[in-house]
Amino acid sequence: MRLTINGERRETEHPDELLLWVLRDELGLVGTRYGCGIGVCGCCTVLLDGDPVRSCTLTAAAVADREVTTLEGLAERDASGAVVALHPVQQALLDTPLQCGWCLPGHVLTAAALLAREPEPTADQIGEAADANLCRCGGYNTIKAAVARAARAGRDSDRSAGEADR
Amino acid sequence: MTTDAPPPSAESANSSDPHPRPPGTRWRTTRRRLLIGAGAVVGTLLVGVPTAIEFGRPRLAEMLLENGISEPELPDSPLVWFELTDSAITFHVPKVEMGQGIHTALAVVAAEELVVPAERLTVRQADTTRGFALATQFTFGSTSVSSLYLPVRNAAALVRAMLAEEAARQLDVDPETLTPADGTFVTADGRTVDYLAVVAGHRGPWSEPAAPPPLRPSSSFASIGRPATRVDMRAKLLGEATYGYDARLPNMLYGAVALPPRFGAQLVQAEPGDAAGLPGVRQVVIDQEAGFAGVVADTRTRAWAGVEALRLTWEGGTSVSAADLDAMIVPGDGSEIRRVGSVSRAFTDATIITAEYATPLAAHAHLEPLAALVRVEPGSGGPIEAWVPTQSPETVVGDLRTVFGEDREVVVHVTQLGGSFGRKAGQHLAVEAARLSAAVGVPVHVGWTREQDLGHGFYRPPTRTRLSGALDADGRLRGIQQLSAGGDIIWAVAGLPEAVREVLGFDPGGLLGQFAPYQLDAYRVMNRREQLPVPCGPWRGLGLLPNTFALESFMDELAETAGVDPLQFRLRQLPRTPEGDRFRRVLERAAELARWSTSASAGTGRGIACTAEAGTVVAVVAEVQIVPDPAVETSDRADESGVRVTNVAVAVDCGLVVDPAGARLQAQGSVVMGLSSALYEELGVQDGRVTTVNFDSYPIIAMPATPPITVEFVGDGEVPHGMGEPVIGPVPAAVANAVRAAGGPRLRRLPLRIRG
Repeated sequence: MRLTINGERRETEHPDELLLWVLRDELGLVGTRYGCGIGVCGCCTVLLDGDPVRSCTLTAAAVADREVTTLEGLAERDASGAVVALHPVQQALLDTPLQCGWCLPGHVLTAAALLAREPEPTADQIGEAADANLCRCGGYNTIKAAVARAARAGRDSDRSAGEADR
Repeated sequence: MTTDAPPPSAESANSSDPHPRPPGTRWRTTRRRLLIGAGAVVGTLLVGVPTAIEFGRPRLAEMLLENGISEPELPDSPLVWFELTDSAITFHVPKVEMGQGIHTALAVVAAEELVVPAERLTVRQADTTRGFALATQFTFGSTSVSSLYLPVRNAAALVRAMLAEEAARQLDVDPETLTPADGTFVTADGRTVDYLAVVAGHRGPWSEPAAPPPLRPSSSFASIGRPATRVDMRAKLLGEATYGYDARLPNMLYGAVALPPRFGAQLVQAEPGDAAGLPGVRQVVIDQEAGFAGVVADTRTRAWAGVEALRLTWEGGTSVSAADLDAMIVPGDGSEIRRVGSVSRAFTDATIITAEYATPLAAHAHLEPLAALVRVEPGSGGPIEAWVPTQSPETVVGDLRTVFGEDREVVVHVTQLGGSFGRKAGQHLAVEAARLSAAVGVPVHVGWTREQDLGHGFYRPPTRTRLSGALDADGRLRGIQQLSAGGDIIWAVAGLPEAVREVLGFDPGGLLGQFAPYQLDAYRVMNRREQLPVPCGPWRGLGLLPNTFALESFMDELAETAGVDPLQFRLRQLPRTPEGDRFRRVLERAAELARWSTSASAGTGRGIACTAEAGTVVAVVAEVQIVPDPAVETSDRADESGVRVTNVAVAVDCGLVVDPAGARLQAQGSVVMGLSSALYEELGVQDGRVTTVNFDSYPIIAMPATPPITVEFVGDGEVPHGMGEPVIGPVPAAVANAVRAAGGPRLRRLPLRIRG
C-alpha cells in the first residue's frame, strides 16, 4: 500500500499495522517515538494534513491518500536532502535545548501545527496545545518559551519577506 | 559538534571484527600514566586517560598499581581518549547520555584545556571494549562531571602540549612562544597554524613533553562557566539520534518475552500454544530450565501478539497490595546510624512534637521504554554484540556472560537513553534479546511496551519516617529523634550476600538526605530496612526525596510550634561552619528570589526547604494556591488535588558550574519531576501486580500545571559538584510547607492531596 510521508511516496507491506510501527520499524523513520501506545503521552505525534494526530492509534491504511509529516520532514531541505533551514520551532529548541529528547518530536510537531494555524499564540494557547505531550525531563518551560520565540521569529521573517516583496 | 553512539549500520553488521578500534590500537603508558596511541597511522594523534572510577572517585592507573592491581590488568586502551586527525577532533567519553547533558559538559571541560571552541569537538560514546571494567562507564549518583573534571583536563592538556611541540617543530620556533587560541597556535610574529594542520603535517611517533603540561588557570576560562551549545541537540531535532528503541541492523527481527503475571512468579511450564501459527511469527523460543519463553516475529506487534498466545503456567509469587506494602514499612527499632548527645536529656522539660511522614512506591516513568538490540553470532562461542540504552554497560556485559559463559566475548554499545532516572542502571533486555537472537541466528530487537515497563520495573520504595523534636522555652530546637524505615534501594540491586546486608543493617541508598544539617544538642537516627516482595531500587536521588520530604516538613512543624518564621528557624539552627554558611546562602537567596519577606495573597502561601547531596547544597521555595472550589469541573489534575503550584525559586551551590545552560536544565527538570512526585505519583499494586501500568492511571505532570521556575547558581570555587539529583530533594517538602502556609492542612503523605 502506498503512503505519502514527508512529501515522498513510500510503500508499506503492513497496511493493518499501526502507523507508528510502519514509520519506525518498516520505513526507518525513528523520529516518531513510542511512549504509551494509548494516545496519552504524545511522543508518537505526527501531522496528518497538517493536524497533529497520534500515530499509535491509527493504522497505516487509515492515512492512505493523506499527507503525513514526521519530524524528519519538518526542516527545509535541498534536492540532495541536506538541511537548508530548520523549522523555526526546531531552531528555537536548538538555541534553548531539551534534555533526553524522546518527547521532542511530539512537542515540535504539535507546536509547528499550532503556529501554522495560530501565528501569534498566547502562553495559555501554547500550554493547552502541549497539554497532552509529556516530558519527563521537565522541559515544559523551555518548550513554552521556545515556541513563543519561534512564533516571533516566524512573524519577523514573514515581515521581512513581505518587505522584500515590496 | 555531534554526538552519537556508534550506530548499528550495514557496515558494522558486515564487519568481521565486532570491535571497531581506533586507528592506533596499541597504547603506551606515559610517565604520567596517560596513554598515547602507539603505531598510529600517520596524521593521527591519540591521547587517553586510563582512569578507573569507582563510587564517583577517579583513580588513575598509578594509584591502582600501587594498590595491588598488576600491570597486565592495566587496560591496553583507555575509556576516555582524544583522537585527532587532519579533519576532526574526536573526544571519546565513557559516561552515557540520558538527557543530563554529560556529553556536552565533558566537551566543555575538554575544550577548555584544548583551547578550542567546544563546537569543534565531535563527542562519541565509548563502548565496553576498552578501559577498566570497574565502574568507569557506570553513570550514576551525580558524579560524572566531578569525577572526570581533572582526568579529562589532564589528558586535554597533554594533547595541547604535544601539539604545541609539534607545531613548534614544523614552524621552527620555540614551543614557549606559541599561544593557543581557538584551535590554532599563534606565533610571536602573528602566524597561525590550525591544530588539524599540525596533525596532518606530523611524521613519526609523537613525543611526550618533558615537563607535565600545566592546567589553565580558572581566571582564563573561556568555555567553562559559559552556557554551552548542546552537542546532541541538532541530531535529536532532525530525528537522527539513535536511542535504544531505534537501534537497527540488517535482517533483524523483533522479539517479545513472557513476563510473570505477579511479582516473584516462576515459569514452570511453557508451550507454544497458538503462537507458532500466527502471521509473521518466525520462532517460539522456550527454555524451561531458565524459565524463559519468547517469540520472534517479523514485526514488533506480531511478536507481542505471539507472546499473548503462548500457553504458560506460573507458580508462586506474591499477592501483595500497595496497602500491604505500606504496612510492612514500620519505623521503630533498626540500626542506629547516628547518635549525638542524649535525646532523653534533650527531651526533658521541653515542648515535644511528633509527626510521621510517608512516601509511596513510585516509578521512574522515563518516556523511552526499555529496549535492546543484540546480535549473537551463530555457534556456541561466537561474539555477542549489543546496542543498549543502559546507565551501566558493565552490568549488561556481566548479565550476558552469566547466561552465555564467563569467557564469552561481549561488546556493549550504549545508545542515547530516552530518560532513565536510575531505571536503566539495571535492565535485562539485552539478555532477553540475546536468548532470542541465539535461537534464530539473526539480530533481535526487544522493546518493552509501556505496560511492561511500568509493570515490571523496580521502584522507588515506600518510606515512613517518625520524627520527634524538642523545643526549649525560647523556641530553640534542642534535639531530634528520627525513626526512618524504607524498602531496600542499593541492596535490592547490588550483588551482596544477605548476611552482609544483615550485618550492616541499613541500606546505604536510604541514607541520602537522611541526616539533618542543623546544629542539635541531641540527634538520634534509627533506620530500618525492609525487604519487600516488590522489586525496589535506585530512583533519582535514591533516599533523597523521601528523606528530605520528612525532615524539612518537620522543620516547618517545629517552626510553627515555636512561632518562628520557617526561614529564620532554619537559619538560626544552622551551624557556624563553612557547610552551614553554604546552607545560609542558598536559603537566603531562594527566599529573596521568591520575595519571601512580602506577604502572600489570600489562599496562597510559600514554603521553603533545603538539602545537600553530591557536594551540592540547594534551597527551594514553592508558592502554592489552594484551589477553593472542589465542585469545579476541571481537567487539571493539580486542581483535583486542591493544590496548584504557582511559582518555584531555586538557589543552588554546586561549586564551579561547568555548563550553566545544562546545569539549569538539570535544576528545572528536577523541580518538575519533584512536583510530579509531590502532586500525583503513586504506583498502584494489587494481587502482586502493578495496576497503574500506563500514563492514564500513572499520571505525570504536564505543561499546564508546571509553574514558572527561577534558578540561580550561588556557588563558586575550583571544583564542580553534582547536579543530576540534589535539586529534586527539597521540592515536595517546599510544596507541603507552602500548603500549610496558605492556610491548608499539614500534609504528611505523598502525593499531597487536600481532597480527592
